[in-house]
Amino acid sequence: MAFVPVALLQTYSEVPMFVVRFLVRRLLQGALIVFLVSALIFTLLRVVPGDPVRLMAGGMAPEALIEKIALEMGLRDPIYQQFGRYIGGVAQGDLGQSFVRPANGAAVGGASFDDNTRAARAEVWDLIAQTAPMTLQLALLAMVFALIVAIPIGVAGGLRPGKWPDRLALYLSSVFISLPNFWLGIVLALLLSVKLNLLPAIGYNGFAYTILPALVLSVEIAPFIIRTLTVSVANVMGQNFIDIAAVRGLTRNQIIFRHALKNSAIPLLNLLGVQFSMLLGGVLVIEFIFDYPGLGRLTINAVMQRDFPLIQGIAIVTAAAFVLINIVVDLCATAIDPRLDY
Amino acid sequence: MSTVNTTLDVSAPKRERKIAARIWSQAFASIEFKIGMVVFIILLLLAIFYPWLSGIDPLKMDIRGKLAPPLFIGEGWTWANPLGTDQLGRDMLSRSLVGLRYSLLIGVSTTILMVCVGAMIGLFAGYFGGKVDTVLMRLTDAQLSIPMIILAITILGVSRPTIPSIIIVLGLAGWPVYARIMRSTVMSERKKEYVRGAQVLGATDWRIMFTLILPLVLPPIAFVAVLDIARMMIFESVLGFLGLGVQPPTPTFGNIIADGRKYLINAWWIATMPGIFLVLTLTSINLMGASLERARNAIYGGA
Repeated sequence: MAFVPVALLQTYSEVPMFVVRFLVRRLLQGALIVFLVSALIFTLLRVVPGDPVRLMAGGMAPEALIEKIALEMGLRDPIYQQFGRYIGGVAQGDLGQSFVRPANGAAVGGASFDDNTRAARAEVWDLIAQTAPMTLQLALLAMVFALIVAIPIGVAGGLRPGKWPDRLALYLSSVFISLPNFWLGIVLALLLSVKLNLLPAIGYNGFAYTILPALVLSVEIAPFIIRTLTVSVANVMGQNFIDIAAVRGLTRNQIIFRHALKNSAIPLLNLLGVQFSMLLGGVLVIEFIFDYPGLGRLTINAVMQRDFPLIQGIAIVTAAAFVLINIVVDLCATAIDPRLDY
Repeated sequence: MSTVNTTLDVSAPKRERKIAARIWSQAFASIEFKIGMVVFIILLLLAIFYPWLSGIDPLKMDIRGKLAPPLFIGEGWTWANPLGTDQLGRDMLSRSLVGLRYSLLIGVSTTILMVCVGAMIGLFAGYFGGKVDTVLMRLTDAQLSIPMIILAITILGVSRPTIPSIIIVLGLAGWPVYARIMRSTVMSERKKEYVRGAQVLGATDWRIMFTLILPLVLPPIAFVAVLDIARMMIFESVLGFLGLGVQPPTPTFGNIIADGRKYLINAWWIATMPGIFLVLTLTSINLMGASLERARNAIYGGA
């Protein structure tokens, strides 16, 4: 009887069967990957030297108190027991509580050892949920900037392979990719914010504060889009159907927009999936420089403070996001080009 | 039985070697590559010889000559410190060039490590196929979906970063790409006749992998790796900037720029000057790398 729902799905649903099977397979694989990532990062954090309890309780706390807190929090149990407890929580959607951040926000605990009861510590999930939208806003704006710059350059380069637009695309992407984000961030902050007073740079107090960080991030993304577009547009323009389209009476612009760009969409989508971790690295550093209150700054602070549950939570959430983005990317790619089979 | 040998195409390896040479000469013919190479050689010579020939110690402090601006800018510049001095009066030019040495050292060794690890994994997966392939490729997939930057700053953040630990952490972050390229090349290579010929003649798997296949497929992959040297140099400078790279007083691009950020308003050159060297070096490497990659794609006929 177990196959009845599946049969129903097949008959009445708009979603084709292979999509369901694809989703189930990929989600299972994704769950395995997220599990591996959590196991790896969990073990790593416990193997490396440095006692987080010392940091939590403060340098002046007596040794006995440190041991007591550590025992209470289960930090002296064998690693596999700690991990079992942790992953059990994660499966129920509980990422644990931050070691150092109090629930009321603002201040960062750790200075005094006699207050800060465990119950008052911030939930990792809340911390991530608060900062993620800020990072998303930054990443999306950066993507828009990058596309505005990269599409004309990339398409022009792809239309005239070996000619000057192509060379320009090569030079520009080589220069863009050679600008380290933290240095560019400092230089742009100096020029646009300190000298010319055009844009605000540090902190967050309205949408304007997103522009400068997004600009820096877009310089990091643009070269990959330019390169992908140049290659794929050049490939598409060399194919038969482009010549046929011309015979069919389509204008050059119609050919470029209907065929060439549409066919470049798939490599671009794949790029988004593959380059997700690079994007993340950029976000991390850029948020740190501009003191932008997103996931990246949260991560750096978590590492600096040895906030193990927070580091683990961020690693798990980003791994899950990576898995989901890649599934969505592959689904979109099949929607655009039904010949693809995953 | 002897007829088997005579029909085998054992000349395949030679032809492949010619491909590597063709990629090289085609890239070398482009203007981009030449520009990149000239700039790179000048920077390399400066990095090797300037701190040594000028006799200026990048660690020597001179409080009276602190925060001197670069040549011809503002007041107080001297010929002795063409790029000015930092907050402790240390010479910016020699500091930047010593930083460049470390950057190149770490960038190149990391890339070599990464290519070696990736190539080994790809070679085994592609040659043996089956279960070995499945396990190794799942590992590669998992590795690709780990946010490596988080892992890297976590490891270096909680332990004390040293040059070897930085190289290992960065190298372990980047190998999956090479494992994938290597695997697909080896898979197509091992079906070729020279490999089957060697098997018929009784060569061990080990010998075929390392003396026949590897020398053939490695050079084209090494060309791709040029771009990664630049990527790893950026990575190293980012770590230095976050305080997770080679520790001061050793000057690196990252820690000089992080220091200079505090003096941005009064002494903008501390943060910007080392960056110009870094950007020039990276651009020159990227120009060479991009033309090598183009030549490779043109010859292999793929994207």
